[in-house]
Amino acid sequence: MGDGTDSLNPDNPYMSREARILKVEELTPREKLYTLRFLDGGEFNFKPGQFVIVDVRGLGEFPISLCSSPTRSPIQLCIRRVGRMTKFVHGMREGDIVGIRGPYGNGFPMEKMEGSNLILVAGGLGMAPLRSVLWYALDTGRYADVWLLYGTKTYEDILFRDEVMHLMKHGESLNCKVKLAYEVESPYFTTLEMSGKVCRGVVTDLFRGEEFDVEDTYALICGPPIMYKFVIRELLNRGVSPGRIYMTLERRMRCGIGKCGHCVVGTSVSMKYICRDGPVFTYWDALSTRGLI
Amino acid sequence: MRHLKLPSENFSEFVQSLRELGTVYAPVKKGGIHSFQEVKGADEMDLHYTRTMLPPKKFFLKPRETMFKLADGAWREVIEAEPIVLLGVHSCDIHALRILDRVYLGEPADPYYKARREKAFIVGVSCLPDEYCFCKSLGTHFAMEGFDLFLHELPDGWLVRVGSVRGHEITWENSRLFEGVTDEDIARFREFEEKRSRMFKRAIPQEGLADMLDLAYDSPVWGEYAERCLACGNCNMVCPTCRCYDVCDRWTGAYEAVRERRYNSCFMEDHALVAGGYNFRPTRLDRFRHRYYCKSYFDPSSGYNCVGCGRCDEFCPAHIEHIRVLEEIRPG
Repeated sequence: MGDGTDSLNPDNPYMSREARILKVEELTPREKLYTLRFLDGGEFNFKPGQFVIVDVRGLGEFPISLCSSPTRSPIQLCIRRVGRMTKFVHGMREGDIVGIRGPYGNGFPMEKMEGSNLILVAGGLGMAPLRSVLWYALDTGRYADVWLLYGTKTYEDILFRDEVMHLMKHGESLNCKVKLAYEVESPYFTTLEMSGKVCRGVVTDLFRGEEFDVEDTYALICGPPIMYKFVIRELLNRGVSPGRIYMTLERRMRCGIGKCGHCVVGTSVSMKYICRDGPVFTYWDALSTRGLI
Repeated sequence: MRHLKLPSENFSEFVQSLRELGTVYAPVKKGGIHSFQEVKGADEMDLHYTRTMLPPKKFFLKPRETMFKLADGAWREVIEAEPIVLLGVHSCDIHALRILDRVYLGEPADPYYKARREKAFIVGVSCLPDEYCFCKSLGTHFAMEGFDLFLHELPDGWLVRVGSVRGHEITWENSRLFEGVTDEDIARFREFEEKRSRMFKRAIPQEGLADMLDLAYDSPVWGEYAERCLACGNCNMVCPTCRCYDVCDRWTGAYEAVRERRYNSCFMEDHALVAGGYNFRPTRLDRFRHRYYCKSYFDPSSGYNCVGCGRCDEFCPAHIEHIRVLEEIRPG
């Protein structure tokens, strides 16, 4: 086939923009936080809950959620070392260049939720996209009470530990209540002296003792696949409508724009592309589309 | 719709006139099967075929293609698109291209697919069904759009439907090759369509199908078929609407790399595998069921993702038949 052309075409939706790594912070032994700035100096507008595709030229691409808030720049990504690509990225340093394309996905309906209470339920790495919501809510002040219920395996696994601990102690002035559930005992937890806010158990245990107006509250969930049904059961038992329960989901994604087909979920009556129709879905969506959770 | 008649004796010259639009690809018989190959004249092609093994999607979404080349640390877009004429495309495959269009031309459009689609001239041809065809039951047996010209076989030539301005222009420029349609031609056209309509042996029972399949999510039949299925992915490769692709960066030299994409199959174990090892479709049953649901998804705006071409049945090494699966899965 002749007629081949090659060019630096910025309109190609698969072409990434170059970004410089400004800062690399080790959050846990497995997760690092990358602060990035685009070399082209252009804008990057996104909503909490959206994601990007990171392009390591010559190695490949992978999707990752934005963990910084649109109210703050530059953008940040929390990356767990979990495979070939992320292992390479963990070896990258400040000043190195990566490609970024996006933002992709629908994100959380932040405007629709204004004025209401938000309950953020995070499990493990699910803290990353919800941190974007958390800071957006606290920075804009457009929401009533904000809860962060965060389940972690160990003390060392807590993502954004300083922020989480700070808000746990001083969040009340921002109408923010942070609670933490952990699986593995650690002396740090016993010295926290945060009675009622830290407990050994699972994330659903953190609902105990909390009262909220189910007619005026949205729940936002992100965590490992197993976590959703337990959290949803708790919310439904309390009378939260399936339309007010938002979940952000993970799938294999190659394109991010509804072409490559890997993230397709559903049956003959309803098929969704997680990358394009999601990654944020309501529990009602999950009831209408089999296989979402 | 504009209608013309192309007499048999002018067909060869018509093919030569198409060559001015681009490289002509038409069904050619090779061994026991037909496939779209480059042709230089009418004598090389065989328009009396039931189906090619690979559908016309191979011209727009290539089995393997380079998206970008790495040069001086930056990606350079590589788009290969040549003007082509696809001569002899069946109605089902034209419908399938419309389904691919909705995915690949939907915003944001895929620039690779789009460039090739815009440079392609599509000439449809009428056909008669064999034992695998079930397009009629899906309404994809007759194309009303998605072609530039459509040829319907007559005893002494072709009744031509003109489907686009480009199609009109080529017939206009070569108007000496065409005649007006007579009452006799219309009668033969009707005869052909009625005969064809009676020949279909298979039909998808459509009534409430989407909901019934959804309700049969836990049917034991899925498991029986998952046992028989070899998970080879043949059905994906030959399907005119299967469109999953995977992407891979490959070093072609010490300082040169390309980003390539190639067909992928939802029967492969890693199709829904995410980093960290979690697989959203871990068993063959999950993957088998996923393919059938994907094909049978009824999109309110575009209908099913299956056009009834019969390729997956004909080329399945385990002799699994699409309609039979759906009939056995449906409760009752």
